[in-house]
Amino acid sequence: MSFEKLIRIPADRIGVLIGKSGEVKSQIEKACSVKLEIDSETGETLIIGVGMIEDIQPFKAVEMVYAIGRGFSPRNAMKLLEGENTLHIIDLREFAGKSPNQVERIKGRIIGEGGKARRNMERLSDTSISVYGRTVSIIGETSKLKLAVDAISAISTGSMHGAVYHKLESARSKDKLERLKLWEDQNVF
Amino acid sequence: MKTLPETEVNTEAKKPPKSEEGESKSETKTESKPETKKEEPEKWGIAHIFSSFNNTIIHMTDLTGAETVAVSSGGIHVNADRYESSPFAAMKAAKAVVEAARTKGFTNIHIRVRAVGGVGSRVPGPGAQAAIRALVRGGFKIGRIDDVTPIPHDTTRKKGGKRGRRV
Repeated sequence: MSFEKLIRIPADRIGVLIGKSGEVKSQIEKACSVKLEIDSETGETLIIGVGMIEDIQPFKAVEMVYAIGRGFSPRNAMKLLEGENTLHIIDLREFAGKSPNQVERIKGRIIGEGGKARRNMERLSDTSISVYGRTVSIIGETSKLKLAVDAISAISTGSMHGAVYHKLESARSKDKLERLKLWEDQNVF
Repeated sequence: MKTLPETEVNTEAKKPPKSEEGESKSETKTESKPETKKEEPEKWGIAHIFSSFNNTIIHMTDLTGAETVAVSSGGIHVNADRYESSPFAAMKAAKAVVEAARTKGFTNIHIRVRAVGGVGSRVPGPGAQAAIRALVRGGFKIGRIDDVTPIPHDTTRKKGGKRGRRV
């Protein structure tokens, strides 16, 4: 059995990926049964699968390295190991074109005054959002992830913050209703 | 395509769990059983796992990739749309593929995981991990695990147009 994948992460995130005396790195290695070889000059990270084939989680490790490279704190990146959480990365150049000023403007809209907009979206959709460089990354459960991605692309294309919050809120209450309904007709699977 | 793996599962459902343990041991120790002797030579296959946010498709082929051994997807094991990509559905699909492939005598597999790629997501969806685990539990020996997500060197434009997706 073998698995190998090379990922490049920004130079200023290498320190976070390794952690204090290699803490984060060894935590990922232990949780996913992989080995990380990090080149601290170029930021190239080689992920190698080792150990028992039964408990190796190579793609979770890949996601976690991506997440940390995309600005998440190690604690938030560890959320990927829980439940069905996955990572989604949005490139802001899709909305802004090549102009760096536009990217900055959209980033400002997503983060909001003192991080208010980002915090609101995180709370309403139960996800973690990280704005870093030219990307916005989200960690969350698949259905909630979709809501957050829609919300962020709506804000990036110019929707008002209030409208986006409202949409998130109504989706949230709809989801809650559906969860209650689940027990009425149990034939989901 | 839909009915193929299911019918095979139904007809041979009782066999594989028994031969599973017998086979892995007999390969190393004895060759006395007539049943396992048929499956004795190792036979390699490739399990292609396509994992998106909407579904998980597991397609097992021989080494050339041209001949299908078994196909199954998350959607045919689950009724609700939003569970098609769930790890549970992926696990069920992988189990169906395992049963069908075992009856055809496959013992070893390579795994190729693919995310949507291109302009879409490049990280495999939630089903990939569960599918791999179910394939391993199914008693196959695993060769390589590869990521074959198509990564463009230069892309076409993402869908949605200049003004983005309007909801």
